[in-house]
Amino acid sequence: MTLVDGALTQLRVVHALALRETRTRFGAHKLGYLWALLEPIFWILTFWGLFEVAGRHTAHGMDVIPFLATGIIPYTLFSQSTDRNMAAIAGNKALLFYPQVQTLDITLARGALEMATYVMVFIVLLGGNALVEHQLVFANLLRTLWGMALAGMLGTSLGLVLCSLSVVSNSVERIKGPLFRPLFWVSGLFFTADELSSSARDALLWNPILHCIEITREGWFPTYRGGYGSSAYVLMWIIGFAFIGLTLERRVRAKVQLT
Amino acid sequence: MIELCSITKAYPTSMGQHVVLDQISAVFPDGVSVGILGRNGAGKSTLLRLVGGAERPDDGEILRSGRVSWPIGFSGGFNGSLSGEENCRFVARIYAADIDEVVEFARDFAEIGEYFEMPVRTYSSGMRARLAFGLSMAIDFDTYLVDEVTAVGDRNFQEKCRKEFEDRRGRSSVVMVSHQMATIELYCSRFAVLEGGKMQMFDDIAEATDAYEEALR
Repeated sequence: MTLVDGALTQLRVVHALALRETRTRFGAHKLGYLWALLEPIFWILTFWGLFEVAGRHTAHGMDVIPFLATGIIPYTLFSQSTDRNMAAIAGNKALLFYPQVQTLDITLARGALEMATYVMVFIVLLGGNALVEHQLVFANLLRTLWGMALAGMLGTSLGLVLCSLSVVSNSVERIKGPLFRPLFWVSGLFFTADELSSSARDALLWNPILHCIEITREGWFPTYRGGYGSSAYVLMWIIGFAFIGLTLERRVRAKVQLT
Repeated sequence: MIELCSITKAYPTSMGQHVVLDQISAVFPDGVSVGILGRNGAGKSTLLRLVGGAERPDDGEILRSGRVSWPIGFSGGFNGSLSGEENCRFVARIYAADIDEVVEFARDFAEIGEYFEMPVRTYSSGMRARLAFGLSMAIDFDTYLVDEVTAVGDRNFQEKCRKEFEDRRGRSSVVMVSHQMATIELYCSRFAVLEGGKMQMFDDIAEATDAYEEALR
């Protein structure tokens, strides 16, 4: 098999998996896809309510709903990609009967599906907001999408690491929850990097998710120019996770038991 | 053709490593159907998964030429929450086969009526086997790996499976595992007995039967 044949087979497999994942992820309920859209929307509306009650204002004249959306959606995309991919082997053992289907293909398909879903959520939410507000202002849509893509890739590559680890030990799933929960508060969902004191900022900028959210916001708001989000820094994490994840996957492949 | 070069496979258990296949070497030539006999737990299904490439041997190598099917059995490869048709479409896609042709062939062959549009988890094991068999026949493989599946179903279905393989003789060969000689002798002209991690090949059915009965004792 040549490299081109191999690449074509892999493309075909990832495509078939993405279609199948769409059915299994959203198909269980009639309103399956709608629920996927509604969940983050409810979440954002809840925090919007809290912001209103607490009388909190956002910096740089950002509207509250776009501010929350550009924080919560990339974060949810990150955490969902991680969770979905962590279960990639466990939920798909039957698939590994087909030798052309590899764990990496499942990971790529699930990552792509999560990304498409949350871009959709973003469009619905901010489109809806624009209809209500009668205006739609954004600075650089490509940069916004790039920020979300980075969040999705970060979650997917981390998910690949965790999915290999969870083959070795089933405590990974239990540890992951409490270990990652603090990320919700330190990833910039409710603040921007330039609102922080410089010592707090230096510490929190180790967190790659904060970079993703900064990039997303810089793309969306014409008034926000933080300049703290670095694509190169996030890509370093992604490449690191992918390297570790793929190496681990090779090591544990023999341990995956089909029956 | 499939060639097994000294393959070994062990699984970890609470009692330590359990060696299922111990340095097995064998050749399954093109156009010759081979039936592998073994009692329950002898490692038949493990061997098929290795031959199909779903799992890797701990040691040794497997050489394949031509398209080899996945192990066709009761459980393998179906997603329970998708319908029979959706499962067929998925498999057709990953094997680059014509989706509509595969779906039509599998629907006709399986004869499970409206269950074809229902989630696979609602199927009986016989219906799963019918679907698995119909689906694999819809895609042209050079070697079919069959895991007991033809032993289920009524006589009508068994006859249909046998006829389908007969029509393909010369184009495709079969590697079949079973714990029953009666199933294997319908399809195969070479035989093997798997026992204690070792495999012995036979050209003669009487010798194979004797060896298998010896192993069962």
